[in-house]
Amino acid sequence: MNLRENTSNIGMGFRRDIADAFLKTNEINPDFVEVAPENWINMGGYWGAQFKEVSRRFPVFLHGLSLSIGSPDELDFDFLRQVKNFIEEHDVRVYSEHLSFAKLDNAHLYDLLPIPFRDDSVKHVVDRINQVQDFLGMPIAIENVSYYTPVAAQMTESEFINQIVSQSGCSLLLDVNNVYVNAFNHHYDPYEFISGMPLDRVAYLHMAGHEQVSPTLIVDTHGEAIIDPVYDLFDFTVAKLKSVPVLLERDFNFPEIRMLNHEMNQLRSIVNKYWIKDVVPA
Amino acid sequence: MLYQPDTYKIEQDLSRFGRTGNDTFIPGTTEEGLRQYRRLLRNNINNTMVQAFPISRQVLPDEEWNELINLFFADHDAKTTQIWKLPAEFVTFVKENDYATLWSKPWLNDLLYFEWIEIEVYTMPDIEAEPFTLQGEIREGTIVVNPEHRLVLLRYPVHLYAVEEAKNHPGDYFMMVYRHPETREVLFADLTALDTFTFENIAHEQLSLSDIAAGLKLQFALSDQHPLLTNMIAFVQKMMAQKLFLGYAVERKEQF
Repeated sequence: MNLRENTSNIGMGFRRDIADAFLKTNEINPDFVEVAPENWINMGGYWGAQFKEVSRRFPVFLHGLSLSIGSPDELDFDFLRQVKNFIEEHDVRVYSEHLSFAKLDNAHLYDLLPIPFRDDSVKHVVDRINQVQDFLGMPIAIENVSYYTPVAAQMTESEFINQIVSQSGCSLLLDVNNVYVNAFNHHYDPYEFISGMPLDRVAYLHMAGHEQVSPTLIVDTHGEAIIDPVYDLFDFTVAKLKSVPVLLERDFNFPEIRMLNHEMNQLRSIVNKYWIKDVVPA
Repeated sequence: MLYQPDTYKIEQDLSRFGRTGNDTFIPGTTEEGLRQYRRLLRNNINNTMVQAFPISRQVLPDEEWNELINLFFADHDAKTTQIWKLPAEFVTFVKENDYATLWSKPWLNDLLYFEWIEIEVYTMPDIEAEPFTLQGEIREGTIVVNPEHRLVLLRYPVHLYAVEEAKNHPGDYFMMVYRHPETREVLFADLTALDTFTFENIAHEQLSLSDIAAGLKLQFALSDQHPLLTNMIAFVQKMMAQKLFLGYAVERKEQF
């Protein structure tokens, strides 16, 4: 399935806890869905059938977890082969991954650890993104991740992201909530950060909720509603971009479905302020 | 790899700290941030295992459960890219390190495996069954097996008794775990030794019940194969109704 052209596309993560709202009651009817391929590759039975129905009814974006683009380990081409097959089987248009590492010394960690912002990291990551793009035969998008401590940085996060995007030719999956979280945790101006991003390379946007776990730390949980300052940052970001898809991430602690729809409507109302003029009259 | 050795070491130290929580020095990091990563990583592993092994979690004391999680995360290099399959590696880890003996819990390996196998069968990739018809002759027909199954042998009957009782009943407990082809639910069936023998000959040798009974008669010099055949027929009829057996092969394979 294709995205609608010349209009805003607001997507939602497809999660098992709310699967019925997508497939049975139709209470959630996003313009596209996003899933982690790791959660669905080789899945059979009830959930395999559910996912086939999802991919029949909605355009599917993949947002990976295990590629570990910042790992010193060799890329896992067996895994990439499975991703490639999955992309073909489900007519996936976008495959994104995190600018982080999740595997080291041949051991998966199942979370996103920060890559040191360094010159050699840029070279290493760019080389790996190129290998992945060559193997898949398509550009990938890389997401700015939230991180909870700086790690031996030799450059700013903004410089790191810019260098990687410009040198690899990949797209940017700009997670606006992550910018907010990082700006709080690492004391920078999120608006300035957004302005410094390669905005012409943004493939799509992520929005989510987060949790403040201490006076000095916010964790990107995807388990809360989006707060107003993040909507404000999103508004600022959208105003600077051409029309791109927007995804609402929610992974657990699900509220009533109407609250999720309210959040999607909020996002849509913001993007329509700027992008609705892009609609070409029939 | 285009990392310089010091960048590689920084990532190694960060990974090691996340897996163990042991004190480490990583330049430029904050203590609060590092502790947060340790918490997030360990929670991920723990939550995955609690979800996969709810009974084991309940019957193991907190200190033993937490020790298992800590040791598994610290010492085991997780191989799967799919965290929902990690419980299978946990089962192997516990077995290989023989915590069942160490903690005098002889049922531990069976309980973990029993809990995992339900997930494995529930999620296993779809397998297309051989073509079949519901019309057939039960003694002579080639019976088609539901391919989405696992035959399990347990030493302790953790599926029948609470674990403290199960340890008093060691033996050979055969169990079939399979996925219903329409509802896709996981079903369990206890099998006798004869049921198991019959099933394996149907599934792997494509023998008819008459052939299997005749083989047993010959092997054990029985005077009459009829009682065996009667039991086999009852087993197949029951399990055909419960969709472990799907029907009869459309074309009977030649037996040589």
